[in-house]
Amino acid sequence: MITGNLKTSYRADEQVLNNRWKRGFVLAAIAGLAAIPLFGNNYIVLIACQMGIMLIAVTGVNVVIGYTGLMSLGHAAFVAIGAYATVIFHNAAGGVIPESLLTLVAIPFAVVVSALAGIIVGLPSLRVKGLYLAVATLSANFIVIFLIEEQLFAPWTGGMNGINTPTANLLGWELSTRRELFWLIAVLAVLALLAAQNLFRTRVGRAFIAIRDRDYSAEILGISLYRYKLMSFAISAAYCGLAGALFAYFYARILPEQFDLHLSLMLVAAIIVGGMGRTMGAVYGVIIIVMVPEVIKVVFGALAGGGAELAMIRAPIQEIAFGALIVGFLLFEPFGINQIIDRALRALNRWPFARG
Amino acid sequence: MRLNRRHFLAGSAAATATLGAPALLRAQPSEYVIASSLPLTGPFATAGQMVAPALRMFEALVNEDGGIGGVPIRVTAEDSGYVPANALANYQRALATEPNLIMYFGDSTGFMKLVAPELRGENARLMGSTSFASELSDPANNPYQYLPGPSYEDQFDILLQQIADEGGSTVAFIFSNTEFGRDPIAHGRARAEELGLRVVLEEATREQGADIPTHVTQLAQSGAEFCILQGYVTGVWPQLIGGARQFGLPTRFMGTFWGMENAIADRVTAEAGPILDGYAGVMPYKYFYDPERGPVYERYATFQKTAFAGTPLENYMPTWGLQALLSLTIGVEALRKVADKGLELSADNAAEALSELRDWDTGGFFGVPVTMEANKIGTGRVYQYSAETRLFTPTSDWFTV
Repeated sequence: MITGNLKTSYRADEQVLNNRWKRGFVLAAIAGLAAIPLFGNNYIVLIACQMGIMLIAVTGVNVVIGYTGLMSLGHAAFVAIGAYATVIFHNAAGGVIPESLLTLVAIPFAVVVSALAGIIVGLPSLRVKGLYLAVATLSANFIVIFLIEEQLFAPWTGGMNGINTPTANLLGWELSTRRELFWLIAVLAVLALLAAQNLFRTRVGRAFIAIRDRDYSAEILGISLYRYKLMSFAISAAYCGLAGALFAYFYARILPEQFDLHLSLMLVAAIIVGGMGRTMGAVYGVIIIVMVPEVIKVVFGALAGGGAELAMIRAPIQEIAFGALIVGFLLFEPFGINQIIDRALRALNRWPFARG
Repeated sequence: MRLNRRHFLAGSAAATATLGAPALLRAQPSEYVIASSLPLTGPFATAGQMVAPALRMFEALVNEDGGIGGVPIRVTAEDSGYVPANALANYQRALATEPNLIMYFGDSTGFMKLVAPELRGENARLMGSTSFASELSDPANNPYQYLPGPSYEDQFDILLQQIADEGGSTVAFIFSNTEFGRDPIAHGRARAEELGLRVVLEEATREQGADIPTHVTQLAQSGAEFCILQGYVTGVWPQLIGGARQFGLPTRFMGTFWGMENAIADRVTAEAGPILDGYAGVMPYKYFYDPERGPVYERYATFQKTAFAGTPLENYMPTWGLQALLSLTIGVEALRKVADKGLELSADNAAEALSELRDWDTGGFFGVPVTMEANKIGTGRVYQYSAETRLFTPTSDWFTV
């Protein structure tokens, strides 16, 4: 509980960023993000872009798993649908819509297509939950990858060989470098986070939380499980579709293997490690899943040198160190890093009168 | 002091030295870096772990020979886990952190295709890899990427020609359902038709843990005289052959580069008996145990005996290691040509120098001088495995396609 956070009007109480610390944090984060393309080298920009894309997808997974309590192991499918929808749209509408407007239409198109796919994949959630739902959604991942690889659809998807992706173009501004694309990714990631934070102050978001906490109680209270479960899947898939669209612009080529089960597991692992059902949980989770392995690589590389033979020993140790880190978080703080940070901030807020 | 001719010349020389020194220093860094991604963990860790020491040997031997233009090289490696996006991050990290990066070695077809459109301007480097994917042999679109041997399509051509020469009439293609497996299938189908061969089965399998009895049954029903296996490394292909032998099929099996490692065939023979006897395939290089191995292999052998004593590499270099070594050798050879001309070691200059590798004596990798044509070396020959000698031995002369 944050102390001294007093409000004198309902308007102040209803703000998304309802205290000066949150406002300060968001402003500082935006300033930090703006510094990345201005001062970071290509590698830092690359990792920051990857984190931004992952963050949007993990926020989507958080909607369905963290807030609605519906387990899904197939969200990589929606990222794939978003990515391929973007490329297919560019290829199909290339001559019809002006180049400068294509991206602005392609991204919403990818989001809508993914949301529709989310509704279809969410249908089993009306009958099953828990592990059974996890298996049902898992199959979606395999089916989508299978369809992408199918020779029948290869003229559109590139099949096994993958397909080259277009360059994003915002009203004539061609985002041909990662540094330029970072601006688009960062803006959309921040908006996606703020939208998620806001969602759970609305009727829809509260319905999701009610379903998570006890679905049949929620139904007795008048919440339509049919409507809200599917809506949760649709919103979640839409987020992943947006991530997929950015993924397509970010990589010069997309391959089906980039969207396999490994990605689905990474998305779920990120939200578990970061903290389910909390907006910042996605942020912390992405930092751990994407940035920490890179930091470990850089640190180990600096300590042991980049030599080829040492890399043989370094590589498995890096994997073990990363695995141990995740296990450690789960053992010592099952509610995720968000909980650790919350506790630290509470202690700081009350200091010197109380700790913890 | 009066300015006479001697003073003028001395002054000019001093000025040139002063002004030119920074440029000279810029042109001659203390080292050049060749970075690489290897699958040191993940499904192909066996191959990656054996290739990594070969890279160290390569670094030592190139530096013994004076490096590139007198500048020593440093070879670095990073794990990709056989995930193309990880390898891409490794490449970007190398670009950002190694100012003297002159070349990169990639570890998968997926990575090479993912990175290809990004190799433009300052992000471009000469790039070799473990892949023989046909699409990479495309200097018009991918001038910086090259193959250290024939593409999978070329390897299929060689095998189909061999089948036609032996009077075969039916052939089956069994391949892993991956990009790697599917790469030469469409081309192989067309080539078989040209040669008057009938493709009676095209069967896709999982790359690991395939349902062997089902695939063997399909093969039996097809009645194929020959079967070409594509897209496997350590698993599936030996089980398929074993299953067919148990079924009593007389089909003759063939493979391409990644299914031709002697150490794997030996392990299969030791564990399952002589099921691979008669298995044949295309190998672009001489095996390390070749009695007529050239000076380069001899030099490797001497180095390995001391540097890798007590490890599996003490007396043997797997085909995967030979491929990596040749790939790097090609790159260094091209870069040396650029350095000899006094040009900058840019990707564009190096790519141009690749096409100058004509009638090149590799010192033992190939039995004949080879030429880099369309960014690939289309040379290889057919080897056959004998369970008795436990060796792959050549059954054809060197082909160039």
